[in-house]
Amino acid sequence: MINREFQAVILAAGRGSRLPEVASQTPKCLLPVGPYPLLWYPLNLLQKHSIQDAIVVVLDSQKNEIVKALEKTGIMNKMKLDITAIPADEDFGTADSLRFIHEKIKTDFLVISCDVVTNVSLFPVINKFREHNAAMATLLFPGKFDTGVTVPGPKSKEKPERDLIGIHTDSRRLLFLASTSDFEEVMSVNGHLLRKYGKFTIFSRLVDSHIYILKKWVIDLLKEKDNMSTLKGEFLPYLIKKQMTKHVGSPDNQKGSVLNAKLSDEVFEFCKVPAHEKQIIEASFFNDSRIKEPYNNDVIRCYAIESPKDTVGVRVNTTASYFAINSKINSIWSKLFTGENIPSLISPSATVNSTQIKEIAVFDSAKLSEKTSLTGSVFGAHCEIKPKNIITNSIIMGHATIEEGCKIENCIIGYKAVVGRKCVLKNCLIGPNYQVEEESDIEKVYLTNADGFMEIE
Amino acid sequence: MDQFKDREVVQAVLIADNNHFENFRPFADETSTALLPLVNVPVIDYALESLNRCGVEEVFVFSRLFINDLRQHIEKQIKSSCSWSLNMKVKIIGGEGCRCYGDALRDLDAKGLLRGHFILLQAETVTNANLIAILEEHKKNSKRDKGTAMTVVFKESAARLPTGNEVVIAMDLDNNRLHYHKRVDQYLKEKNFDIPMEIFINNSQISIHHNIVDPQIAICSPLALPLFSDNFDFGTRDDFIRGLLINEEILDSRIYVSFLSNNQYASTIGNWLTYQTISLDVINRWSYPLVPDMGICCLYQNYVFTRNNIYKSQKAKVSRKVTLKENVVIHEGSSVENGSEITNSVIGRNCKIGENCQLKNAFLMDGVTVGDNCRFEFCVVGADAVIESKCQLMEGFVVKPKEVVKTGSTLTGNEIYLDDEGLTVPVMKFLPNAFDDSDYNSSSDEEESIINGSPIPDDANIFLSEVIDSLNRGFQEKLKPDNLILEINSSRYAYNMSLKEVNFNVIKALFNLNVIQEADEKVLSAVNEVFNFFGIVVRNYIKTEESMEDCLAAIEECCLEHDILRSRVLKIIHYLYDKEYVTEEAILNWHNSMEKDSDIKNSLKQLVEWLNQSSEEESDDE
Repeated sequence: MINREFQAVILAAGRGSRLPEVASQTPKCLLPVGPYPLLWYPLNLLQKHSIQDAIVVVLDSQKNEIVKALEKTGIMNKMKLDITAIPADEDFGTADSLRFIHEKIKTDFLVISCDVVTNVSLFPVINKFREHNAAMATLLFPGKFDTGVTVPGPKSKEKPERDLIGIHTDSRRLLFLASTSDFEEVMSVNGHLLRKYGKFTIFSRLVDSHIYILKKWVIDLLKEKDNMSTLKGEFLPYLIKKQMTKHVGSPDNQKGSVLNAKLSDEVFEFCKVPAHEKQIIEASFFNDSRIKEPYNNDVIRCYAIESPKDTVGVRVNTTASYFAINSKINSIWSKLFTGENIPSLISPSATVNSTQIKEIAVFDSAKLSEKTSLTGSVFGAHCEIKPKNIITNSIIMGHATIEEGCKIENCIIGYKAVVGRKCVLKNCLIGPNYQVEEESDIEKVYLTNADGFMEIE
Repeated sequence: MDQFKDREVVQAVLIADNNHFENFRPFADETSTALLPLVNVPVIDYALESLNRCGVEEVFVFSRLFINDLRQHIEKQIKSSCSWSLNMKVKIIGGEGCRCYGDALRDLDAKGLLRGHFILLQAETVTNANLIAILEEHKKNSKRDKGTAMTVVFKESAARLPTGNEVVIAMDLDNNRLHYHKRVDQYLKEKNFDIPMEIFINNSQISIHHNIVDPQIAICSPLALPLFSDNFDFGTRDDFIRGLLINEEILDSRIYVSFLSNNQYASTIGNWLTYQTISLDVINRWSYPLVPDMGICCLYQNYVFTRNNIYKSQKAKVSRKVTLKENVVIHEGSSVENGSEITNSVIGRNCKIGENCQLKNAFLMDGVTVGDNCRFEFCVVGADAVIESKCQLMEGFVVKPKEVVKTGSTLTGNEIYLDDEGLTVPVMKFLPNAFDDSDYNSSSDEEESIINGSPIPDDANIFLSEVIDSLNRGFQEKLKPDNLILEINSSRYAYNMSLKEVNFNVIKALFNLNVIQEADEKVLSAVNEVFNFFGIVVRNYIKTEESMEDCLAAIEECCLEHDILRSRVLKIIHYLYDKEYVTEEAILNWHNSMEKDSDIKNSLKQLVEWLNQSSEEESDDE
């Protein structure tokens, strides 16, 4: 067996808590995006970068369903996937999931979330990681992916949460990671941070890609820090802050002094710098600062790279971004592949009898009847579109049925939902299993029988 | 002629009153700080010459204090046709009515002398920057944004000791707009800088800079003067910036930032510390072409420039056995006798320096007489002062003009000039090249505790870390214990600590000082050193029996955290007893209150027995 430089871990055990309207019945990672489930996209990204095997972390309750869905996409033939289940009844965060599988990680590793849809090249960030022997390197997407898209359903008043990302202007060191909701009126910028690094830039429009490249020792540290349950919310900010901590046990006074060992931070137990590496740094002319030692003598180094402005990069973790990626899937589809072999957006096993189709993506076994006009929409597996329907800019989830004579515009029709005859729906969200009555004419509403379920129970 | 009529004349305003003139006492009591000689040339001439070189045509020098001295100087320079007087009109304006910077600008507004965008400069600023390029940029910007009030010029610098010129700013990277501006505290290290959230939310890229100095250069729009007039509370330029940033919507004006490139020099003199650094920068030719051998503004050569930045007037007499190491300026008519050694110093006109003197970072103004065997380090000597032989002037001592220092005096500067708030005025001292990192230790550890979540940073912890910071700094810089007590007390009120907590934390902080924590085997001598230095501080808090018990409890806690201290606890307690910090009773009470069989209790057994014995003996004696 060849020793690989990186292991890949895909975190697909999310519950889709930020898109409750669409992900309440389907596992989040199997939501249809274009002709494939969401999880297919990060796998495709890895495969494009010649990473052949990956660990996929899923909830044990959803494992079978996910395996089945992946088999249908054909990605299983190209990659060796180790699908690992974590208990569904424990409320695991991302850091908990990684901790659960820590024994499987034997090298530096790449963590990627199942909801990343992007065409970005990972090589710049991998190179940055190698170049500086970093503890962590990550990628930032340009934000504003969902501008210009009207999200169906009632208008939400919630302000979107934003990341605040502080990067040292010259060296691209990642110095600061927080969310706008962490602060109220003012943000307290740490005085030491400023004194030490002089200047840095805080970005509020960039989006953290949830693609992280991490050193092996980080998983050991993570294992130890069992009070942290999320990766981005707790563990990474912790790691980033640790960059500033001075490594007390410097080489000169390492003579086994008890005192220094006590003073030195526990973090440095994990990231020991080999002597030859120190010599390399000392001997090298490289310096990222004009007046101080290279890297400020920091042992832990985190970097962040902004992806190029024209990159497609989005995290499908809200209803808005889910709807946006689907309505734009046609324009970005060809960018997601390298080379000539761009698969069709329409699954070969789908029955497409419609004559007026434009920019649509169709899952397997979907049935699109004749005498329909379908534009810019996505049709999930086994859904059925009866004749005389006009559907524009919508998502029809798996097993949904649209009866005859409907006009549907800018809507999401949930899993196994049924839209009765002659309905006119505009900007609507139809929940799973919901039955829309015949001849309804509705706009900007969210229809669900989630409450009904509660009563049955 | 008509074609020239409409052309805009490039105007500049030079503010000759220093906001911080008290830093220059006693010099500032006698004449304008703008006339302070910097490498033997009045500092205002640097500013005028740099304006001249930029192509400025009209300058208004604004002054309130010593306006006659300034007028005389300017007239003299014009009469001697110095270089800036040839192309530039210089007018002096001023009046007793104005008390501050803001008043000066309001006065200028009332007089209506300024017609367009203009350069606003402090007279103590030394720069070789191309200000016209910045002015043009500013004009372009104000065409785009009609609300442009000011462009502030900053210069990146290496982090050195705070000198009062450092600022922290936050600006929009897309259009260089200033959003946040705060002067770095000279005395205390800020823990945090609170920047309003909306700045980050409303802009996509905000760049925060800490490594910059403010050389007091700005480009003003015609808009700026009425703003000063309308807002009578704008006293200084900092007030103006703050006022505009807070009320940007009401005032509808914005401030932009311009950075000088690496090859341009700019700095301003605000105290003796900056006086020292800028003098050496000028001697080291960072400010070229404003360097001593170019004569700054006179049109003849004063000095012969030789290796190691030695500038020596041909009319100066330097004896053969004098060592001029580096960065030395000796003006005409001066003499230095055999055996003297001079580095990093400036000697004015007609000075006499005796035999075997040592001058390091000494700045002598005109006509100073120095006797034999004197030692000067980091000091300023005013014009016509007489220093008799065998004197030692150290650490930022300032000799008044015409003062006589008696034979054999040893004088240091630290304790002499205190301003109203009990803080020392920054004095000259040795400057490290870069900030020493040592102080990150304690504070980053303190941050640790926040992240780890285990000990929540309650006020007591913050108070403790502040006390540790103060004491560490005090120990390193040998500050007066009285001032430290003041500092600790102010922290105490800030965090609302009870007396008991204060006693406890002060002692705990002492044992958490870097010297003790890093002492290893020599911990006892470190403890001795610390208690010798902070004796006054300790006795200030540990007076009563109760406070002694707090003190001992603190030591107990420190020992639990620190192995080496624990092994030496017996000796430490004995030491404290010996020096009468704690009484016998306090020790015995404390010992009794400890849990049975604890390590510390056991190790103290010996001492307790001995104490018991001796007290018995005492009572026997009675």
